[in-house]
Amino acid sequence: MPGWTREPLVHFLALGAIVYIALTWSGDPVDPASRSIDVSAQDQAQLSLAFERVMGRAPTDAELDARIEQFVRDEVLYREALRLGLDQGDAVVRQRMVAKMDMSASAAAETAEPGEAILREFYETNPERYAGRTLLSFDQVYFSEQADAEESLGRADVSGEAISLPAEVNGSPLSDVQSRFGEVFARAVFSLDAGEDWQGPVPSGFGWHLVKLRERQTETASFEAVRDRVENDWRSAEIASRKDKAFEVLRSAYRIEIDR
Amino acid sequence: MRKPWNTVATSGIMASAMALAACSSEPALDAVQTGDGTDTVELAEFPDRPYWGDTHLHTDNSVDAFGFGTRLGPEAALRFARGEEVTATTGAQAQLARPLDFLVIADHSDALGATRRLYDTPRWYVNWVIGDETVLRWYDMMHESPEQSQRAIAELVTAAGAGTAPESLSDPEAAEEGTRDIWNAQLGLLDRYNEPGTFSALAGFEWTRMPGGNNLHRVVMFRDGSDRTSQTIPFPGLSSTAEQLWDYMSNYSDATGGQVLAIPHNSNLSNGMMFEMTMPDGSPMTAEYAAKRAAAEPVVEVTQIKGDSETHPFLSPNDEMAGFGVGGWELGNLTLSQKTEPEMLAGSYARSALLRGLSLEQQLGVNPYSFGMIGATDSHTSLATGDEDNFWGKHTGNEPANEERALTEQNMGTRIGRFSWHYLAGGYAAAWARGNTRAEIFDAFARREVYATTGPRMSVRIFGGFDFTAEDWDNDWVRAGYTRGVPMGGELADEGTAPTFLVSALKDPDGANLDRVQIVKGWVDGSGETQERIYDVVWSDMDTRARIGGRVPAVGDTVNRADATYTNSIGAAELRTTWSDPDYVSGQSAFYYVRVLEIPTPRWPLFDAVRFGIELSEEAQADAVAQERAYTSPIWLKPAG
Repeated sequence: MPGWTREPLVHFLALGAIVYIALTWSGDPVDPASRSIDVSAQDQAQLSLAFERVMGRAPTDAELDARIEQFVRDEVLYREALRLGLDQGDAVVRQRMVAKMDMSASAAAETAEPGEAILREFYETNPERYAGRTLLSFDQVYFSEQADAEESLGRADVSGEAISLPAEVNGSPLSDVQSRFGEVFARAVFSLDAGEDWQGPVPSGFGWHLVKLRERQTETASFEAVRDRVENDWRSAEIASRKDKAFEVLRSAYRIEIDR
Repeated sequence: MRKPWNTVATSGIMASAMALAACSSEPALDAVQTGDGTDTVELAEFPDRPYWGDTHLHTDNSVDAFGFGTRLGPEAALRFARGEEVTATTGAQAQLARPLDFLVIADHSDALGATRRLYDTPRWYVNWVIGDETVLRWYDMMHESPEQSQRAIAELVTAAGAGTAPESLSDPEAAEEGTRDIWNAQLGLLDRYNEPGTFSALAGFEWTRMPGGNNLHRVVMFRDGSDRTSQTIPFPGLSSTAEQLWDYMSNYSDATGGQVLAIPHNSNLSNGMMFEMTMPDGSPMTAEYAAKRAAAEPVVEVTQIKGDSETHPFLSPNDEMAGFGVGGWELGNLTLSQKTEPEMLAGSYARSALLRGLSLEQQLGVNPYSFGMIGATDSHTSLATGDEDNFWGKHTGNEPANEERALTEQNMGTRIGRFSWHYLAGGYAAAWARGNTRAEIFDAFARREVYATTGPRMSVRIFGGFDFTAEDWDNDWVRAGYTRGVPMGGELADEGTAPTFLVSALKDPDGANLDRVQIVKGWVDGSGETQERIYDVVWSDMDTRARIGGRVPAVGDTVNRADATYTNSIGAAELRTTWSDPDYVSGQSAFYYVRVLEIPTPRWPLFDAVRFGIELSEEAQADAVAQERAYTSPIWLKPAG
């Protein structure tokens, strides 16, 4: 064999060629353009503008050259990082890109100024949101023991034990009733029939109550009265729905299997 | 050349935030929402219920909150506080079991929004234009990973405490422009979410002075809407004194006709500097200084995520219930750059400060420390959570997505001896008001008719007078309280007879039963020494739980450690009594406040242990159950004339 076949450098080059060819054949073809960086006039204008926004003046030629050099350096390293797959398996990069996708889907909604018609439509299609508050008017007496409450219910003159809760509540929003009497009580009283009879015993976090639900009203909330809330709600619903829609489009192109 | 990075052009996020603010100035917003709420809702004759709120919430505009990873802004904070579901930074859905009635967004005024802007700045700019090596290193850490970002912010807080923060961070003039943009955007948002009668959104900020790492922080809270608050901007704290803050506040009032107050907090981390007997420079306190302080700071935040500041067992050796939320925090100041020595404690806790106030009043004729008490969260996640079973962390690094959050040291070991399980779940403020408007809520704070809870929503009342009797309970005792006496936060003039109090504590309707109600009395004795005493005035099952050796026996403990549950089979739904001071001495100044204790319930680390199947350390397990509590503002008894 000729002497050059024993040169380590030749071995190295040959091996490198084999690896290169193998990778080229097995993977994506190397796009020659991916190794060419063209800093266009538009790119340069962008760099210049970014400088100006920060410094309040246009860059000198030397400063712009330095920016261009930095831009080229970042771009080379960024592309090589992608080639090496450094963006893979990095939770921060992954999360940030996910967030960017979400942002780009919804950015328009954050600054949009919906017209009156759009808001009215949102108001009308979400009646439960703007149905207005439920107002309750009731009397209640308190018992620490359920048996005592039941016994008292049969009597003509209902009287309970002392507690620092209002005996009489007039036109109070359901949320206020919940705040003062607790969730269990508010839910139970909400579903009683209005009338002049004592009902119960109704449980609460305090004990037991007999309740005379005198009136249950639903406030009507006109569009004008809640316009701000409608706009706040429209905006966040719009942001969420644009994110979802954008995702649906992308998602439909994937087949997903989850191993169980 | 060096240029502070606070002035970096606004990022995309900022631009959209400002666009939102621009929307808010549309004619749709009427005076009902943009003002202080006066004459917008029908008011009760007397304050008829406590309104619940958080006066100390940070969003991603806070320099540390963003660095810790929070990506939720003020709008999410407002929606969440009103009871809506939001997606937390770490991805899970978060919601309060019960909405709050009011919220003060209190982002740090120093470098407001700066980390967010820094994060979005191109690296070349940080490197070449700002040219500060430390800032560049923090920048890189923030981009490297959430853990490194949290470490960078821990370094930033330490540097701010040590006074070595980079100039570009602590220069208030440079920060002003950035601050103004964020402030105005926020004021617009607050007006949009302010709904008199339903939800009060109040403007505020946190003033973050901490010389040598000693916490002198105050939350500053405004009464007014954007018509007035837009005439000022938050006042930076790192390089100003408390007196300058009070001047800033009175300038605001003079210039706008509005009102503003300051709420000191985390005195437990001040190493005695929050409530000094002297001027800050060590000279004798002047009456002028004392009066200024009392006027500007009617309320102190005594319980929050970073510990409880009511009292310390060293200061109150005869108080068997002292020591709640003290562990870990008692080791040193905020940054743990200086250990806490026993002689510092009296200047760090609220009860001793109230006592010092009585002493100083004897010398100066003015009581600088005549404050009411509230709780708050100090959450840095935009989520104002105060419930043990719904704790979303001090910051985004310990949201529940981090299932081992109860096991770690705080801030990755940079604060030795303080563990995550030392965090409390947070506290709330209760305000006795006639309705839910900015003005009514603010005025309750100003007259100190407010109280603190460590999270649960018990209703607590105290009225002080001279002719209350047990019969008052049979009638409209609230009316009696207001017409024949004063509510919490009020003052009684000594008439030569013992004061009598109507005290009532009603349990949280969706929470635990009550163990006992105590009155904490403080006074200055004949020899000029301050004294304190705890009276158990009413407790559950009094007939079967008689005092033993002068002490009320423990209420018991129903907590099942294995599944983090408890039962209301012990304790009471309501405790109330008429109490007259048995140790009254004519002519002696005193204060009286109420402390209410719930039966033992699980703390958040125990809920975590059960939910995530983790094993708490021995110390954490020993602290996994506690008696949640409420502290009212005091009533002061003052010599007549």
